[in-house]
Amino acid sequence: MIRGLLTILSFISVIFFPWFVTALLVLISSFYIPLLPLSIGLFADTLYYTPNNGLWPLFTIYGIVVTVVVLFVRSRLKTSSIGG
Amino acid sequence: MKRTFLSKRNALLSSANISWGVRAFIFALIILLIRLIAPNFFWFVFTPVFNSANTLTVQSHSFLQGFNDTAVLASRNEQLIKENSALASENQALSKKIASIIELFSSAQTISNGILAGVVARPPESPYDILVLAAGTDEGVKVGMEAFGIGGVPLGVVSSVTDNFSRITLFSSSGINTSGWVGNNNLPLTISGAGAGIMNASIARSAGIAVGDIVFVPGPGMLPIGTITRVDSDISSPSVSLRIQPLVNLFSLSWVLLRDTGI
Repeated sequence: MIRGLLTILSFISVIFFPWFVTALLVLISSFYIPLLPLSIGLFADTLYYTPNNGLWPLFTIYGIVVTVVVLFVRSRLKTSSIGG
Repeated sequence: MKRTFLSKRNALLSSANISWGVRAFIFALIILLIRLIAPNFFWFVFTPVFNSANTLTVQSHSFLQGFNDTAVLASRNEQLIKENSALASENQALSKKIASIIELFSSAQTISNGILAGVVARPPESPYDILVLAAGTDEGVKVGMEAFGIGGVPLGVVSSVTDNFSRITLFSSSGINTSGWVGNNNLPLTISGAGAGIMNASIARSAGIAVGDIVFVPGPGMLPIGTITRVDSDISSPSVSLRIQPLVNLFSLSWVLLRDTGI
């Protein structure tokens, strides 16, 4: 239930809140929902990315990086004595 | 042989933890597909959402300012500063225009009225400095048209157009370089977008550029685009770095004027 709420709130925050609120929310949520940073990054780039100025889709790239880091950390924790 | 299966061994396959992530990812993919396949429909769907976000921002701003009288005064002061800034920039543009006309001994060129377009969406302060406008090819918008804000301040260039919507890439967007002039002697310089509404430029130290100098770009004549807010100099370098702040707040624009200036 909380995961669902965090997911919906993160998508809403992309449009309604400043970017740093979204970033904070996604970072906190990512430990419960690892694919959320990637999804939110993709969603933000869908709304705001313009390919013609030579930039990479930065939000998606940041999302991929955070998702990979979170998945790595989670896998380490789960296989360690901390994760049981 | 007995095989052990640890469901919690792999975080990616742990369905209890990932299900909302997968749903979110599929949702984001669907939105992306709609955006790619039917961009005009996409913006039709998202325009009311962005409008409600804008309304919420304005209402929350008014609500927070309504707590005491000083906040009301601050709001009025802010409005007057904006108006003053708009008039000042307009005045600068007119002064430069008159000077250019006198210098060239030629009459002013006819300027079309342009297309007035409402701003549907603006990103939060980010590397992508773009505006989405509620005007497209149906209203006569074309790729390459220039967008102007209050007081005729140039903002950016139309980078993509659908039937009813268009995108403006602002001059402050990362990777965008614009030619311009600075100071009383109209020294040429290249203005580079730095994202989040900020522009940078570099010029020779001997040019004597100071904080507060106006930066101009070509439009119909010379149009003020921003002011120098910081001059960074390195003793080992013959040039100085300029930080340019736009004359209008790019992230609170409601309307822009689109004109074909040939840029």
